[in-house]
Amino acid sequence: MKHFVTALAAATALGATTTMATADAASLSVFDWSGYEDQGFYGDYVAKYGGAPSYTYFGSVEEAFTKLQSGFAADLAHPCTDGLRKWVAAGLLKPIDTSKISNWDKLLPQIKDVDGVTIDGKTYMVPFEWGNTGLIYRTDQISEEQVSLQLLSDPAYQGKVAIPDAASSAYAMAALATGASSYTDMSEEEFQKASDFLRTIHPNIRFYWSDAGQLDQALASGEVTMGWGWNQSELNLIWNETPAKMMRDTDKGIATWVCGYVHLEASTQSDEQVYDMLNALSAEASGKYIIESWGYAHSNAAAFESADQGLIETYGFADVDSFFEDSLFFDAVNPKLEGRMLKEFERIKAGF
Amino acid sequence: MAGLLKSEAGKGLALSAPASLYVGLLVAGPLGILVAYSFWTQTYVEIDKTLTWANYLEAATDPLVRHLVLRSIFIAGAVTAATVALAYPIAYFIAFRTNKKTLWLLLITIPFWSSYLLRVFSWKLILGFNGVMNSALLSLGVIDEPLTFLLYNEFAVVLTLAHAWAPFAILPIYVSLQKIDRSLLEAATDLGCSKLERFIRVTLPLTVPGIIAASLIIFIPTVGDYVTPSLVGGSQGKMIANLIQVQFGPANNWPLGATLSLVAMAAVGVVAILFVLLATALGRRIR
Repeated sequence: MKHFVTALAAATALGATTTMATADAASLSVFDWSGYEDQGFYGDYVAKYGGAPSYTYFGSVEEAFTKLQSGFAADLAHPCTDGLRKWVAAGLLKPIDTSKISNWDKLLPQIKDVDGVTIDGKTYMVPFEWGNTGLIYRTDQISEEQVSLQLLSDPAYQGKVAIPDAASSAYAMAALATGASSYTDMSEEEFQKASDFLRTIHPNIRFYWSDAGQLDQALASGEVTMGWGWNQSELNLIWNETPAKMMRDTDKGIATWVCGYVHLEASTQSDEQVYDMLNALSAEASGKYIIESWGYAHSNAAAFESADQGLIETYGFADVDSFFEDSLFFDAVNPKLEGRMLKEFERIKAGF
Repeated sequence: MAGLLKSEAGKGLALSAPASLYVGLLVAGPLGILVAYSFWTQTYVEIDKTLTWANYLEAATDPLVRHLVLRSIFIAGAVTAATVALAYPIAYFIAFRTNKKTLWLLLITIPFWSSYLLRVFSWKLILGFNGVMNSALLSLGVIDEPLTFLLYNEFAVVLTLAHAWAPFAILPIYVSLQKIDRSLLEAATDLGCSKLERFIRVTLPLTVPGIIAASLIIFIPTVGDYVTPSLVGGSQGKMIANLIQVQFGPANNWPLGATLSLVAMAAVGVVAILFVLLATALGRRIR
């Protein structure tokens, strides 16, 4: 709704031909997840151009890739690191000139270093938000000592488990559970072990969730007691006062995802405007807003100092360094392995 | 031009030209592209345009494909049988037993006033773990724990689809019942048929075309449905269209997706032709 109002405001401004700047604001097009049109995310852009860019939405990174490859054009897009190698290989992206990103030095170094932000020595993404993917469980039914990824395959939990309908996320979980040395470049043996793990939990699975809301509701109602999901689900459950939390013990296995903005090859807007938007997105004020209002972690390190410390604690980002050391990052997967994961995952889901 | 429009054939061609052009561009064109794709191969982000049977070989030898095609046909068959069986009495009622035909026909189309997606979601709310059905049974004390077999399986897919497609079965059967010459029924009674005999030997055979039409209208689209199985099917209720969607989406293998689409299309065609032959033969026999 908000973006509709914005579009309306922009359209009215265009009709009235007020200032040139207002008309310009909406000429920048952003291809994004829905919800990210929130003006708090890019306050500096609104201040300079007098309005918001225009937004088009996708539901998954794969859907975005397919749409861009069939010729859809925009200036910026918002994928995550694990899929980015394919985007670069398909020639969809322009490298980012980091010298034009005024906040570049303030961004968390561990997030900047994630494989996928930089590919083959070139930077393709300005990291924006990050968070965890982990095992969320009902604390009233499973104790903190008892919970583990291996518990997912326990026959006692038949029909009480949900994992994402996404091969890369499922394999990241399986890699953590089976102790694979790397998830982006597993050996043949590790791949087999991970696949076998997914096969052993298949009989316990109530559903493979395709939207996070499905997982939230199932955990809240008690339909499932454990689910591999995003920190967003944990937050929704906290806000809903459901006794549930994410297993944040890095020894037991937790993953970190990073998403950010990329400059599309098909972009037609001036670099100046594109980089103004990228700077606004990575600014400290935007970071503070996204941490406090959305409960997501931002890439700007300074934002963690200026945001409400109590909220940071509640949302689980108080000790970011420990995550960075031991959690698994959703790096850009080796293309050949990615293909095999996708194929094998379809089989596993069908019970083969 | 005027001369062309005067001849009978010319008039026919001129009249059918817009529709032919439309169908040609929007059906035959895309189908051609699909066939072309099915002979190409995907190499990461590029399409290799060397012609090959590799995709067909993969589709033919993969047990997963066979499994999903068979399951899709089974689910669509169950939906068709359930819908036609439930629709027939309603159509019969409207054709023979009521004077408010328009009102009834209008009532039947009511499900179509809301979006298909919303109807699927409402079934999810009805059948869900803490949904309408479970809450009702729990509060009545019939069950102690919510039933889990209601959702995320083939049953949920069949139920949802049967509800969504009901009007498509009622209307063709109603039309074929409406067309029956009432004097034939009187003649059957005069010649000593009981009500049941009259229905089986006169009414039913005369409505076979309506039943065939209703069955095909339901069977063909439901085999390829992917929204319903992905929302209420869980992992036990996935159908072939879900695998096709994966190829065009996450797996990014359009050629294999195109091949699977054509394989599904061929399977549907074969089953539909067999069904028409069988139904026609049965219709003749009972007469």
